[in-house]
Amino acid sequence: MLNYNSPIAEVKNYNDLQISEIEPILKINLRGKNRDFMAKIGKELSIIPPSDPNMSSGNENLNILWLSPDEWLIYSNNKIELKNLDSLENKLFDEISKVNLGSVTNVSDHWIMINIKGSKVFELLSSGCPFNFNDFKNSKGAVTQTIINHIDVIIHNKNINNLNLFVRRSFSEHLWRWLNDSARFA
Amino acid sequence: MFLINCPYCGERDQSEFSAGGEAHIVRPKQPTELSDDQWAEFLFMRKNIKGVQLERWNHSHGCRKWFNMVRDTSNDKIHAVYKMGEKPPIK
Repeated sequence: MLNYNSPIAEVKNYNDLQISEIEPILKINLRGKNRDFMAKIGKELSIIPPSDPNMSSGNENLNILWLSPDEWLIYSNNKIELKNLDSLENKLFDEISKVNLGSVTNVSDHWIMINIKGSKVFELLSSGCPFNFNDFKNSKGAVTQTIINHIDVIIHNKNINNLNLFVRRSFSEHLWRWLNDSARFA
Repeated sequence: MFLINCPYCGERDQSEFSAGGEAHIVRPKQPTELSDDQWAEFLFMRKNIKGVQLERWNHSHGCRKWFNMVRDTSNDKIHAVYKMGEKPPIK
């Protein structure tokens, strides 16, 4: 694991909006197709990966987001110590990758998670995003992958007016600046 | 701008997708036995018709899955969307 240096280190407050980076958290990409793979994930994590598109499942520690019919993203709800970042990965790797049930990749360094909450969350995102949030905003646990200001993002509707947004590390500072700029006018 | 109904994610804006050209072009089984002209025909030559065309598309900013589409190139009307490996629902 590389040294962790986040490009963002502040919490920004605007009128009815709060934007903050929540790092470091664990993020693992899962790929697999067959029933044994799903059963093994369910047994190891006590969470079944959602088979419904654009949905998530989770418990008090972990969330599993649907990314495509054979791909999911696991992320932890709470910050964890850097030295513990690969413990779950190692466990899943032994149970899944080593026996060719699927693939397990630690993407903790790949994605940055930004939490956005407040009543104007969707006004902020809609100013630079082609996705229709009408149904999404009332559906707790909904997930979407789309583009904001031409940047690929994964959005998880954690709660009413409370989103977790994942962006690639190299784009995170640019998106952070765009979010803060746009939040002043939301 | 138009909306595309991804067979995996649902209806999304066209800007999330990438066009992948004409669909259902079969790769020759023995490429080494082809002449340069025949190989170039497979590799480069594509129809560019005005009207209904079978195309490949990729949901590049979403689920990243490839799928096929029946689209009228003259007015961007989408007649059908179907998964890879399936037969076109209309000719």
